[in-house]
Amino acid sequence: MTRTYEEINEKIKKGDVVVMTAEEVIKVVESQGLESATKEVDVVTTGTFGAMCSSGAFLNFGHSEPPIKMQKVWLNGVPAYTGLAAVDAYIGATELKENGDLDYGGAHVIEELIAGKPVYLRATAYGTDCYPRRSIETYISLKTINQAYLYNPRNAYQNYAVATNSSDTTLFTYMGKLLPNYGNATFSSAGQLSPLLKDPLCRTIGIGTRIFIGGAKGFVAWEGTQYNTTVPTKNGVPLRPGRTLAVIGDMKEMSTEFIRALYFHRYGVSLAVGIGVPIPILDQEVMKFASLSDKDLFAPVLDYSLQSRNRKPLKEVSYAELRSGSIELFGKKVRTSSLSSYYKARVIAEKLKKMIEEGEFLISRPVQPLPEERSFKPLDIRSKEEV
Amino acid sequence: MVKKKYLLSFTPAIVNEPITYKMIKEYDLLVNILRAEVSERGGRLLIEVEGKPSQMNKGISFLKDAGVEVRELNEYVNRDEDRCTNCGACLSICPADAFEMDKQTWKVLFKGDRCIACGLCIDTCPPRAMKLRIW
Ligand code: SF4
Ligand code: SF4
Repeated sequence: MTRTYEEINEKIKKGDVVVMTAEEVIKVVESQGLESATKEVDVVTTGTFGAMCSSGAFLNFGHSEPPIKMQKVWLNGVPAYTGLAAVDAYIGATELKENGDLDYGGAHVIEELIAGKPVYLRATAYGTDCYPRRSIETYISLKTINQAYLYNPRNAYQNYAVATNSSDTTLFTYMGKLLPNYGNATFSSAGQLSPLLKDPLCRTIGIGTRIFIGGAKGFVAWEGTQYNTTVPTKNGVPLRPGRTLAVIGDMKEMSTEFIRALYFHRYGVSLAVGIGVPIPILDQEVMKFASLSDKDLFAPVLDYSLQSRNRKPLKEVSYAELRSGSIELFGKKVRTSSLSSYYKARVIAEKLKKMIEEGEFLISRPVQPLPEERSFKPLDIRSKEEV
Repeated sequence: MVKKKYLLSFTPAIVNEPITYKMIKEYDLLVNILRAEVSERGGRLLIEVEGKPSQMNKGISFLKDAGVEVRELNEYVNRDEDRCTNCGACLSICPADAFEMDKQTWKVLFKGDRCIACGLCIDTCPPRAMKLRIW
């Protein structure tokens, strides 16, 4: 059987749509079989909430009197990029405050803006005939500025590594604190709730897909950076970091429940972003993938003490093992920690389900599919002639 | 029998005396040293004491009389529930298993009474939900 986007949206409008979270649908497929579940369920909702470093916000501050063409901008002391027009800036989530501390950055500014707090703006300029002002110091908030929207170049990674540490010193990484001698292992994916693991070939997710982002309705804007289709698979699902999404959403509609500044000790700042993607069940194949469980989804364990991009996985482990609290490495029991919140992933999938059931959220057909083939290129030192 | 945690601060002048030993011996208390630190400002000892309430009170008075500053600890760290995202990053770090994943709700439970005050969770928690109460 097949189903179209239009049919699903008609059902949503009539209030007849059947929506289940990616977690719920696993049980339904187990108990009544793939065919009958495909007939019954129109949409499966997914969710994830974790550190997504490649995030940031475009802000338009409005014009001052007299006007200024901002050349350098700081928000609560964090530099924002202003090589755009006069009063536009992009603040990157991982940009740090200019005082040498690693623990306050763009992510905190973004969280504070979303919380409705005042943020201190300082800007300098060289002065032009039409923009004479050379500096400004003021406070802004989400209420006072024209636009504030997240534009995140790389979010919702399809799968990720499990990090561990073979060396005899503690490592402080973007995967958290890694204890010496395989003392622990950390992972960061919602597994069976994670958007791109539940539609691994991106059959229903493409440019223009309406998504839940940070509490707001947003969209998939493009393929994410480092989008990669050339990875090994198991059960048809990538075993390595694969596809990614560039996403966009209005910060004025977001909530700090789903956007949270993070600080990784001795590494730096990142932003936890909550993303939910609805998967329209167009046919049985889409349902088959959407109903894969943590037992069927695997991630590679990497030794983060090897400082090389060519690390070979020590082993592949399922998300069911990871979520059990420990994995086995070389015959030893190694405790696991998740860096992304499965609790919040679930809240997001539930919330998205409700929004669809209540007719507040329509499914959108992608304007354009994401690339079917895209490889992940390394950066090597090359001469002018070699490139 | 009761069990309590105390933070003892020793001035440099009394750091060299076996005060804690005397307390254990005289008042028949079970003492577990959770954390010890000595610096030029003196020494600090985090202990868990188990014993009869009357003995415990006498033991603590003895310490105070000997010039030790004593603070009872209810909690060494506490969790800012609003900031905690229930990620679980703290789970594999805490040596005392003070964090537990509730596999029904997927919320991370914090059992403060198991804490041995190592402080490891403080800089492990990415949204900075674990806060130091003292030390
Ligand atoms: S690491 Fe912090 S945010 Fe994550 S569960 Fe533990 S206390 Fe909560
Ligand atoms: S201070 Fe140490 S023992 Fe206490 S909760 Fe944190 S990690 Fe566990």
